[in-house]
Amino acid sequence: MAQHQVNYLKDGGLPVALTTIDKVVNWGRSNSIWALTYGLACCGIEMMASGASRYDFDRFGTIFRASPRQAELMVVAGTLTKKHAEFIRRLYDQMTEPKWVISMGSCANTGGMFNTYATVQGVDRVIPVDLYLPGCAPRPETLQYAVLLLQQKIRKESASRAQKPKRLM
Amino acid sequence: MQQANRLRPFFENITFDRDDNELILNFGPQHPSAHGQLRLMLHLQQEQITKAHPDIGYLHRGMEKMAENMIYNEFMPTTDRMDYIASSSNNYGFALAVEKLIGLDVPRRAKVIRMMLLETNRLMSHLFWLATTALDIGAMTVFLFAFREREYLMDLIEDYCGARLTHAAIRIGGVPLDLPDNFIADLRKFLDKLPENIKDYEDLLDTNRIWLMRMENVGVISTEMALSWGCSGVMLRASGVEWDIRKEEPYELYDEVDFNVPVSDKGDNYARYKLYMAEMRESAKILYQVIDMYEGTEPALMAHAPQYISAPKIDIMTQNYSLMQHFVLVTQGMRPPVGEVYIATESPKGELGFYINSQGGAYPYRLKLRAPSFWHTGILTDLLPGHYIPDVVSIIGTTNIVFGEVDR
Amino acid sequence: MRAYTPKDDVQKKPYYTDRYWVAPQVAKSDVSEDAVFAADLEAIKAKFDVLDAYIQVGQMVVVINAVDNFSVIEMMKNVLAYNQLSEMSAIDWLASEGKFEIFYQMLSMSKRKRVRIKCKIGEKESIQSVEKLFRSADWSEREMYDMFGVVVNNHPFMKRILMPDDWEGFPLRKTYPLQGDEFAQWYEVDKIFGKEAREIIGPENRDPARIDRYDTERFARLGHEVPHGTDISQGEPDTPLCYQENDGVFMIEKFDAEKSVVISDRHR
Ligand code: SF4
Repeated sequence: MAQHQVNYLKDGGLPVALTTIDKVVNWGRSNSIWALTYGLACCGIEMMASGASRYDFDRFGTIFRASPRQAELMVVAGTLTKKHAEFIRRLYDQMTEPKWVISMGSCANTGGMFNTYATVQGVDRVIPVDLYLPGCAPRPETLQYAVLLLQQKIRKESASRAQKPKRLM
Repeated sequence: MQQANRLRPFFENITFDRDDNELILNFGPQHPSAHGQLRLMLHLQQEQITKAHPDIGYLHRGMEKMAENMIYNEFMPTTDRMDYIASSSNNYGFALAVEKLIGLDVPRRAKVIRMMLLETNRLMSHLFWLATTALDIGAMTVFLFAFREREYLMDLIEDYCGARLTHAAIRIGGVPLDLPDNFIADLRKFLDKLPENIKDYEDLLDTNRIWLMRMENVGVISTEMALSWGCSGVMLRASGVEWDIRKEEPYELYDEVDFNVPVSDKGDNYARYKLYMAEMRESAKILYQVIDMYEGTEPALMAHAPQYISAPKIDIMTQNYSLMQHFVLVTQGMRPPVGEVYIATESPKGELGFYINSQGGAYPYRLKLRAPSFWHTGILTDLLPGHYIPDVVSIIGTTNIVFGEVDR
Repeated sequence: MRAYTPKDDVQKKPYYTDRYWVAPQVAKSDVSEDAVFAADLEAIKAKFDVLDAYIQVGQMVVVINAVDNFSVIEMMKNVLAYNQLSEMSAIDWLASEGKFEIFYQMLSMSKRKRVRIKCKIGEKESIQSVEKLFRSADWSEREMYDMFGVVVNNHPFMKRILMPDDWEGFPLRKTYPLQGDEFAQWYEVDKIFGKEAREIIGPENRDPARIDRYDTERFARLGHEVPHGTDISQGEPDTPLCYQENDGVFMIEKFDAEKSVVISDRHR
């Protein structure tokens, strides 16, 4: 007779939680969004500020990584120029699926105030974008809100569907 | 799964020579410690660099071209995006150049406010420099500390002009706003605590073995090299040349305040670090004096020059002629006299110059931005050979380059 | 008839020109007014042709022949103690006189003076590099070549610096439009996806004031103007700031705005 038998019906229930794989996977994904540092210009400074002491990004599970292989979120913070466009595509291709892109600041959204020969008029001409942040420069709070929104978006997706590459056009 | 595109690995300028031990390392353009978008092609002999090719232009946004297509006041926000760590100092450099061109004198209160903005910007820039350089070298604590103080200054600036990063807080002919109520008290509070904070950083770094090893006698710039490469600011002063434009060609109220120009003749990374720390203390000293000047100035904020500068808002709203003049100045732009001017100011990074060639039109005929970081990046060509790979990061760190300024 | 636009200068022009307005000049004063500048100018004049010299906004401007540029700057550096070349670049006067003007901005730290040396060259001509005297000219000359197409002789590494190597055209010439030519506008698409993708990706939107009349998000209400103060929500509820889904999230504690503390005193 087992003395240590637990009465599951009385003592706090079964040590098991029932859920779907989708939920578990998305729970993991949405709470550990590792971002690739992609500070291109002024917005990059605000991105750094949101990672630093006052705004403290780590509490959302978002840690900035320097390697595209370790990241699943690309925060394009700043002006993308024609000379750089090729590299952003390269790094985007190097990131592992599933991956998301936040375009931070009006330069990344539309070219912003730089309506010139040297500026790509919006990163969405080169890589697919999930969230656009307005502002020049957006405050760190805005970036944090964007990441929270992205978490909601991830939770809504089904885990396997996220694997499908997004189309640019 | 990749989308089809045409990008292939590419090796520009590289011939793979299998006979020697030379390794070619591509650093950047997206590298966390490249302070932006610097690309370096390094030729290595084992760990030692034999040749370095900095490649810039990854943030070239065509500002000089934009200036030729903009009226003078319209260009002001664009200058923010040059040295975005200390944007007011760019605003100021441009405003001063245009003021010199049209021969304008600014009211005293505006001068005092400009001085405050310039020096708080210098502090912000130096704190940011300290934070990022320390982070590159691995001193995470200093990064967090310095950002804490910087956020405080950002709040102050936000109180003044509403923006954290891109201030556009200075206008041609003065400043747009008076100081908010608590500004001076808050600034004083910050300044009172600053020496303590700087001491904290120094306690953490000065005798830190790793810091010393990576800073001392690394990246030595000789005086000739610094002069020949057109270095300015701390880069020049760390190499033994006592040259600070604030002292030598005083502008604004710098001839009325009392401050020292720290100089070192070592020329290495550590000397530069020491100078940045000393400059922060000097800035604080200047700020204390400027705060005292603020009291008792006349309330006028913009120069009176109806041909170039709009009247105060209250006049525009109440008087017909002021409204008309404002309308003309905004829609057509001011037309400065024919001529050219080159004005240099001491930005936190070094000599920031604006060359304006005006042909009497509303748009400048040519505007050349002389950004200090451009040459401070160029010097890497001569500075890096002979050093080892880990030194690259600390050298880039102490040159304090900002890419908005290098590429413009 | 279409309005005539000059092809040799495509930069923005004021829409309004005052025919009777005469532009004033920034005062130029004679070099003899400043003893230091006068002595320097004498020294230069003794050896080289000086086409023009004056003082403007506290700095001396000396116009020389383009062939002399190296020797004049060598003299400025070695004899006259102008120890820094702080800036150099070109100005495009192709439309009016078919020439580039090249200026060298020099600084003497011992005299605390700044001098600008200027010279003009034709479009097809080239100029001598001063990189041997001042290393800073290395990058400035490359930039000048990149932006204007001014070729510099005896330069160690004459390549584009700011624009990509395969770029076409010289952006700072007056004939180059601000928003770039066709090559520039399709550069990134051509390079990454190939010319075939042009149609799929579509042209850039270069009009900063473009308003989409049928914008789904109702950003622009062109043609649907209503009096001020009208409720335009069309019965849609407000979208409040939403940090989490309303019905809570699996395994994550619900954010409670009541319990959170707002730190108002930042000196805490
Ligand atoms: S959006 Fe504004 S702040 Fe951000 S990179 Fe562009 S210019 Fe800079």
